[in-house]
Amino acid sequence: MDPMAEIRETFFQECEEQLGELETGLMRMESGQTDSETVNAVFRAVHSIKGGAGAFGLEDLVHFAHVFETVLDLIRAGRLEPSPEAMRVMLRASDALADLVRAARDGSTTDPVRIASIVSELRQLTGEPDAGDAEDDDFADIAFAAVPVTIETEAALPPGWIVRFKPLADLYAKANEAGLLLRELGRLGPMRVTVDAESLPDLAALDPEGAYLTWTIVLDADCTEDMIRAVFEFVEDDCEIQIERNLPADVAVAASSSAVAADAGQPSDDEILALLRNAAASVEAPAVIEPEIVVAPPPPPPAVSPPPEPEPASASAEAPAARNDAAQGVGATIRVDLDRVDRLIDLVGELVINEAMLSQRVFEAGLARASAVMTALDELEQLTREIQDSVMAIRAQPVRSVFQRMPRLVREVATMTGKQVRLLTDGETTEVDKTVIERIVDPLTHMIRNAIDHGLESTEARLAAGKPAEGLVKLTALHRSGRIVIEVEDDGAGINRERVRAKAVEKGLVSPDAPLTDEEIDNLIFMPGFSTASEISDISGRGVGMDVVRRSVQALGGRISIASRPGKGSTFTLSLPLTLAVLDGMVVSVDGHTLIVPLSAIVETLQPRSEQVHTLGVDVRVLAMRGGYIPLVDVGAALGYRAMPAEPEKSVALLVEGEGGVRAVLVVDGIQGQRQVVIKSLEANYRAVPGIAAATVMGDGRVALILDVDAIVSVTRSDNLRVDASRVEPILMSAS
Amino acid sequence: MTDTADPFALDPVLDLKAASPLAQGLLAKRGTDLRIDGSLVERLGGQCLQVLLSARSTWEADGHAFVIERMSAQMEAALELFGIGPAAFQFQKDIVA
Repeated sequence: MDPMAEIRETFFQECEEQLGELETGLMRMESGQTDSETVNAVFRAVHSIKGGAGAFGLEDLVHFAHVFETVLDLIRAGRLEPSPEAMRVMLRASDALADLVRAARDGSTTDPVRIASIVSELRQLTGEPDAGDAEDDDFADIAFAAVPVTIETEAALPPGWIVRFKPLADLYAKANEAGLLLRELGRLGPMRVTVDAESLPDLAALDPEGAYLTWTIVLDADCTEDMIRAVFEFVEDDCEIQIERNLPADVAVAASSSAVAADAGQPSDDEILALLRNAAASVEAPAVIEPEIVVAPPPPPPAVSPPPEPEPASASAEAPAARNDAAQGVGATIRVDLDRVDRLIDLVGELVINEAMLSQRVFEAGLARASAVMTALDELEQLTREIQDSVMAIRAQPVRSVFQRMPRLVREVATMTGKQVRLLTDGETTEVDKTVIERIVDPLTHMIRNAIDHGLESTEARLAAGKPAEGLVKLTALHRSGRIVIEVEDDGAGINRERVRAKAVEKGLVSPDAPLTDEEIDNLIFMPGFSTASEISDISGRGVGMDVVRRSVQALGGRISIASRPGKGSTFTLSLPLTLAVLDGMVVSVDGHTLIVPLSAIVETLQPRSEQVHTLGVDVRVLAMRGGYIPLVDVGAALGYRAMPAEPEKSVALLVEGEGGVRAVLVVDGIQGQRQVVIKSLEANYRAVPGIAAATVMGDGRVALILDVDAIVSVTRSDNLRVDASRVEPILMSAS
Repeated sequence: MTDTADPFALDPVLDLKAASPLAQGLLAKRGTDLRIDGSLVERLGGQCLQVLLSARSTWEADGHAFVIERMSAQMEAALELFGIGPAAFQFQKDIVA
């Protein structure tokens, strides 16, 4: 890739991260968390986007971000109250900023009217005049006119600035870095940097965390002063900064003598050095720096609260926190091409298989358990396992990146439906493999849309039902039994079972006289072709039905289920594997075949006694356990390996727990052992097989199938028990 | 300067947290000719730069050599960004030579 394109791509990747931080921070602020750390994080996010956008000449983005950060700066300075109204505008601005970033990335366009309207709202917050001002950062002007107004006045000046930058100790203490600021400045154009180390004391007297150096930068850039100030914007209180035009010597002289030389050329190096010396002399002499060359905070706008008194104590109290942030953030991460990680994961997978094969060979060679080879092999196994865990951890990411996209979605859908919605999220730090994260965005997006559009009632209906006007959608992630569980819960009316059933009958999906339990009716919404014209709205019905959601979740090895309480709301539960690469499994034998049962599903293993086994009806058997009865599932019969059911007393029973805590006892012929297996997709290499989740390669080189416990359990469940979503269709079709 | 002495190796990350340890580490060597190995440096921040510049002047005032050798490309780039020419830690090399 061309290096510039690569840098550009990195910039947009960073923008996505900053947009995520922005969203998170704004949500925190909206919930009343307006501490300086949160506000600063929000400010930094917008500021970083602006800085990078400036380097790439993305003017629309720069100008919008500038207006946005002006508002944030006022809040940061305590001059503007983050009122609910202000927060609403800022959340919209955050959406618009995201659109501008994506438009800049994809070369598409954004709606200029919408952007201009948000700029106008932002300006109302700052008290700035909305239109007609000649500021070069007036986005409205930029959006509709090709040339900024200031060009005319600046065109006569040669490009170039002299910047004098003296960091104070606080700049470093707040985890900022002089070098990064210099580098940022260098993005504006070629520069020459000189350092003044005159005030640097002897090493014994030096405070290593003090600040003694001053830099003078001759910047040969055709940029505005604002663009330079923007580089130092969030350290402006922690450094001394002077910015002045780098006029050619003769122009400077002419200005004082009123005799302008018409052919004033670019300054020579000697002239620049002379100017530099002058500049250095001029800043060292006066004790008080001239006000016009000091970076001053923007003047307090009208109609906002006065600035609070400076609080030196709070600044020092914040320093350690900032330092901790730096310890965690600065340079603690590297960017690695995902292909490299994937390749590494594949290789480790092969290593695991290879190690298993080696174990098998050693076992076959009949070596004693205590032999040195076996001990070394155990160590190798341990090491392989650790390598695998570590490699998988590289690709694990918190679900935050997905959750961060949802507030915007909620706002948009709420606006379109005219409903008031509050989104609560929990468990954002729950980690899951990146490949899983990437593939849950679409199903989750649809589930949230569905929850607001179909789940929540209209404001009037809510008030009539004695509920608060504002509907609640809760998005939760947690780890449970080695899987990640994501719940989307709403406090709406719950599923209207009568209507769902009627529609299913109308669409011919279910026979009118089919005896259906409440759960089966609820699960009808996952059936292909369930959505009807009257159901499809602009919001939910974007060509994706819940059946597509279910299929995409199942393709991930996940399950989706629904629990609905009339009048109280619905909960959709997604359960997904943490990784699509490995699995801890129990190796079992069934009718001469080797199968893997995911360990996460197994509660305990037992040897059933004949008096524990009871038959209900013709072919339903249950096992009496601790005062209860648990259905028995003969895996061999369920998978079609044998026609005659196995005798439980001569078999081994595995008590398993499926989604929703439903238990069953799986009957297998014997247990071979327990091991971690590398998952090989059956769908990708062969085709999907009901009851089988995937396959793996065993130590002896044979393929073993990995059991889909939930599907197997649901196969033999009777109607009065919970029916898995994946089984609704065949059951209903047979009923009709 | 004794060539047999192991050079003082700079840490890869010379950020704000590294400034105090670096200053203490260098002070412990005060009064000796010092060869510093910059080959591992990946990042150099303003405060560690201050420590190195101050140490250079201090060693110079003490009449001892202070040389940074085998600077990594990252270190050279950082020094350039900070406006420090390659000669800044060179003239002591002449003394040693």
